[in-house]
Amino acid sequence: MAAAPTTDTVTISINDVEIEVPKGELIVDAVKRLGLEIPIFCYHSRMKPVGMCRMCLVEVGFKQPDGSVRKMPKPQAGCTLPASEGMAVYTDTELVHKDRRGVLEFLLINHPLDCPICDRGGECPLQNNTLFYGPSTSRFIELKRHLPKAFPLSRYVTLDLERCIQCGRCVRFTEEISGDAQLAFRFRGANMQPTSFQLTEFESKFSGNVIEICPVGALTSTKYRFRARPWDLETKPAICTVCSNGCSVWFDYRVGKFVRLNGRVNEAVNEEWTCDRGKFGHDFYNSPKRLLAPALRKEDALRTANWAEAYAAILEAFEPGGNAVAALTGPMVSNESYYLLQKLFRGVFRSNNLDHRWTRHLSAASDRLESKMGMPTVATSIEAFEHKSAVLAIGTSLADEEPILFLRLRKAWFKNGTKVVVACDRDTDADSFAHLVLRYRPGTEMALAGGLLAAAVESGRATVPDPVREDLKRYSPSAAASATGVPEDRIREAADILGPNAAIVTTHRLLDVADAQGTLEYLAGLAMCLRAEFNLYALGANDQGALELGIHPELLPSGVALADAEAAAEVGRTMGIEIPREPGLGTHELLRACADGRIKALWLVGCDPFALHADRDLVQRALEGVEFLVVQDIVETEATSYASVILPMLGPAEQDGTYTNMERRVQRLRQVIPDAGDAKPAWRIFAEAMLRAQPQTPFFSAEEIMEEIARVAPAFEVARYDRLGHEGTRL
Amino acid sequence: MAETKLLLEHAHDPSYRTLDGYLAKGGYAGLKRALGMDRQAVIDQVKASGLRGRGGAGFPTWIKWNGIEKDKHAPHHFMLCNADEGEPGTFKDKQLMEETPFLVIEGMTIGGYATQADTGYVYIRGEFVDAARAMRKAIDEAYAAGYLGKNILGSGYDFDLHIHMGAGSYECGEESALMSSLMGERGMPRLKFPHAPLPTVAGLWDLPTVINNVETYAVAPFILERGGEWYSTLGASTKNSRGTKVFSVSGHVNKPGNYEIDFGTTLLDLFALAGGVKGTLKACVPGGSSVPMIDADACSKAVIGYEEMAEVGSMVGSGGCIVLNDQVCIVKFIWRTALFYANESCGKCTPCREGTRWLLQILERIVKGNGQPGDKELLLEICSQIDGRSFCGLGDAAAWPVVGAIKAFPQEFDYYIANGRSMVESDLVLVG
Ligand SMILES: Cc1cc2nc3c(=O)[nH]c(=O)nc-3n(C[C@H](O)[C@H](O)[C@H](O)COP(=O)(O)O)c2cc1C
Ligand code: SF4
Ligand code: FES
Repeated sequence: MAAAPTTDTVTISINDVEIEVPKGELIVDAVKRLGLEIPIFCYHSRMKPVGMCRMCLVEVGFKQPDGSVRKMPKPQAGCTLPASEGMAVYTDTELVHKDRRGVLEFLLINHPLDCPICDRGGECPLQNNTLFYGPSTSRFIELKRHLPKAFPLSRYVTLDLERCIQCGRCVRFTEEISGDAQLAFRFRGANMQPTSFQLTEFESKFSGNVIEICPVGALTSTKYRFRARPWDLETKPAICTVCSNGCSVWFDYRVGKFVRLNGRVNEAVNEEWTCDRGKFGHDFYNSPKRLLAPALRKEDALRTANWAEAYAAILEAFEPGGNAVAALTGPMVSNESYYLLQKLFRGVFRSNNLDHRWTRHLSAASDRLESKMGMPTVATSIEAFEHKSAVLAIGTSLADEEPILFLRLRKAWFKNGTKVVVACDRDTDADSFAHLVLRYRPGTEMALAGGLLAAAVESGRATVPDPVREDLKRYSPSAAASATGVPEDRIREAADILGPNAAIVTTHRLLDVADAQGTLEYLAGLAMCLRAEFNLYALGANDQGALELGIHPELLPSGVALADAEAAAEVGRTMGIEIPREPGLGTHELLRACADGRIKALWLVGCDPFALHADRDLVQRALEGVEFLVVQDIVETEATSYASVILPMLGPAEQDGTYTNMERRVQRLRQVIPDAGDAKPAWRIFAEAMLRAQPQTPFFSAEEIMEEIARVAPAFEVARYDRLGHEGTRL
Repeated sequence: MAETKLLLEHAHDPSYRTLDGYLAKGGYAGLKRALGMDRQAVIDQVKASGLRGRGGAGFPTWIKWNGIEKDKHAPHHFMLCNADEGEPGTFKDKQLMEETPFLVIEGMTIGGYATQADTGYVYIRGEFVDAARAMRKAIDEAYAAGYLGKNILGSGYDFDLHIHMGAGSYECGEESALMSSLMGERGMPRLKFPHAPLPTVAGLWDLPTVINNVETYAVAPFILERGGEWYSTLGASTKNSRGTKVFSVSGHVNKPGNYEIDFGTTLLDLFALAGGVKGTLKACVPGGSSVPMIDADACSKAVIGYEEMAEVGSMVGSGGCIVLNDQVCIVKFIWRTALFYANESCGKCTPCREGTRWLLQILERIVKGNGQPGDKELLLEICSQIDGRSFCGLGDAAAWPVVGAIKAFPQEFDYYIANGRSMVESDLVLVG
């Protein structure tokens, strides 16, 4: 591997122009400083250079004491050559052009000329390089090789072996980036082929990336194959809303229909990668089950209605308000919509019955680590993981729950040697690079967390107040070991690894386990004692936003607790409403209240309780028990059949709005896909309902709402649209 | 001129393959002397000997040994023996390992001592089962008698030696691909200086590593026993080649086999040693299938030496000397050579992967009688697009023979292309 660039600089010349560059910088990158480009195929700046394709050959010499340049006898690969003092690089000589023509001629002799039907045609590095640097004709008159044209590597990826130029990018991606090492080369020489192990399914949570980094149309998306030509596509920047990581992506659509998603560079979040769940998880936009018009239940059947009828019916049912009405939300709703929903409920329906949480454990406001321990629950940015010396991931399978954070953590280990401790009750993908794996018995999270803290205390690295010390006696490392099944020395070693430059990571998944509260407190305590960072990351696209903006029975926007009467009243004044004093019910209580008739009207916003809640039976009783049910969603779900009113809402990419990811980064998503049918953005639905209930100046855009949010919740000042940068901004 | 027998002196004596027999013939005197010397003094002896690598490139051996850090910081220093011997026409390492295994082991131990290596690997070509058996037996004997392992001969120097069998790839003889293979990776070459540190700095598992050919190691005991000065008197008539070299002579000679000669011997003398040419000499590939062939006229002028062979347009290479008489069709010979390289290209880089196959396709078409005007020029062009552009030397090795043959015998190619058949009336039918 080439030497890592350092802060020292060296002077080199590129086409006789002298320039100072970091010592060891690769020549392909160095020439960019002069606005030049060396054509490449196999080189990828996020992976180790391999020098396979030879497209980047340049002439290289060294400056002699007398000022002349002595050229090396052979051309050199620019993608593997580190800059050193006195190096003279030539990218534009007759020889270099001849070499480029030579390499391209070689690559093309066995490459099928099916560009007119190839997915890549029009956005193909091979096509582009051939156009700029290639020979205009071929001297090849032999038979081209023939290989399978549509080998199914996996459900998502189809390999056209004839088109492969054996650059190894795909193989290296699975080795270096995703780490699942699912692809390798088999056979030798011109017969060499990328392949999965024994031709079994290419099983990866990140397989879609190889489609994008393949410089030809060899790796194709099974879903997108032959669906469009690049020049027929409209490509717009967007944010993926499938999970809480909030990756920057490109949305491609054709004649108004979403067809493809690609990764977009955002160094702070996803670098350029996507996970398969995100890349292939946007089918709902084209779903045949899309809700396109409001519907109203009349004579026991749902019939299409207009919006005015729908609003009238809703207001009639919700206006009695107070404890008798409630709303539950899902994660794919914008900050602006969440804000307006709570304003509608608190201001118009005088109810705090609002929740966005679906985990078994719901912390009471007074139990939240922020209020109880003064410990922030989101501390570490995705990017900052790269420089952590140690990370404890506990109670989470990161590759499944925070896939992009998983890639960043793997990179931290791969590039910077970050020590990763994985504590989980089952195998996780992160085990493969873990320094230490703590496999505990299901349900013993609290004992392990206690044991870790006790070990830190025992070793003298952490001090805790006496009552805690007393309490920890039940979790001495040896007691924790016998409770969890994790060897005692591993518990001690794990505690030893953590320190000031460490981060502890868990997710809302931990809120589903027994003793979640105690576990969290021990973990936060551990972080606090060791001056490490503690993170309890959200899972849904905008769960974090829902929390920050008051979709909570006891919390208002900006995290002000209802119990704090003075502060709550102040928030109400800024919002221009009077906030009801009585706290609302959390999700479980709320469903129970629906089931036994205490709650008469329930509004579901982008959520299917059957899919999100652990107790199906309770959900069914609740949806049957409630007198009036509004189901506002993008697509039909199991809950829609229980609805009194169905409100079609637009998907995230069909409207303007912002989303707060798990590291509290607010990012803007502009409308990239045209409206679907009569559906409206959620915020507009709430705004129109408010307007019909009480005369007031309506909101005309999401941006206006953000202006108000910034006043109510000052943390969102940085999220005003004129301030949000390309990479979004962390609160 | 007679054969100078150094390495091969006792090769035919079965007792030499046992430790006792080896000791009886003065074996291990070199190591014993080395262990009594300062490490640098050992390297200086090798420097004085003028020994150059016998694996093909002729790189001065002492420079590699001297390149290893003197203050050992790394957890390991490695000594690798390249015993992959895949070059068609070359079979000297096979004989050296089968019949003089202790020379190789002693040589590696000397090198190991000089470079503070604690571990050595002999990477033996997969097909060389007999050689591996002989080496295994000798290594076991050496361990039992304290010539390997801990505290060798009471000197305090520890050296472990392991055998690794290749899996049948020519490319794994290329030193960096050999290391990939040894580390359990696909047999593909790795980045080289100046793109990556030298193997002496970061080789096997990124640790300091010396790699030499079997024959190179086998020479070391003699240098240490009799002194570098003495060794450098052999071959002194040449510009810069010293000592003896084992040549594997095959093809149209009466007594094919391995012959050890002093540098400075003429090529014709070598043919004579091998019983003389069968029939009329037409051409010779003097240093293994990858070096350019030379015609009879050049053969008659050729003196064996690294620089001397370059003067007649070829190379000493690995010493695989293939003699061709006038019954051989050069076009078919080159087609068969091209088939080898196309099969053995590892696939890593474009010029070699695609170029070797294209060369083969064209040559095959010519041999089948479907040559076209311009084919000869196209072959040369393709070779120029491979030579010096490929990732490792295999591409060059595939291009040189084609260029050499076309240069030496252009008329044979022209004739074959124009007439759809060979110029040589009774050409041998090669299997393909
Ligand atoms: C394609 C290729 C194949 C090679 N095969 C062998 C081989 O089989 N045996 C060998 O000793 N050297 C072989 N070499 C040369 C080695 O790379 C290396 O130069 C040699 O092992 C160094 O040893 P020496 O310095 O003792 O010659 C090969 C080189 C190339 C490019
Ligand atoms: S499939 Fe694509 S990425 Fe993989 S080796 Fe072939 S050309 Fe490269
Ligand atoms: S880009 Fe440099 S060799 Fe492929």
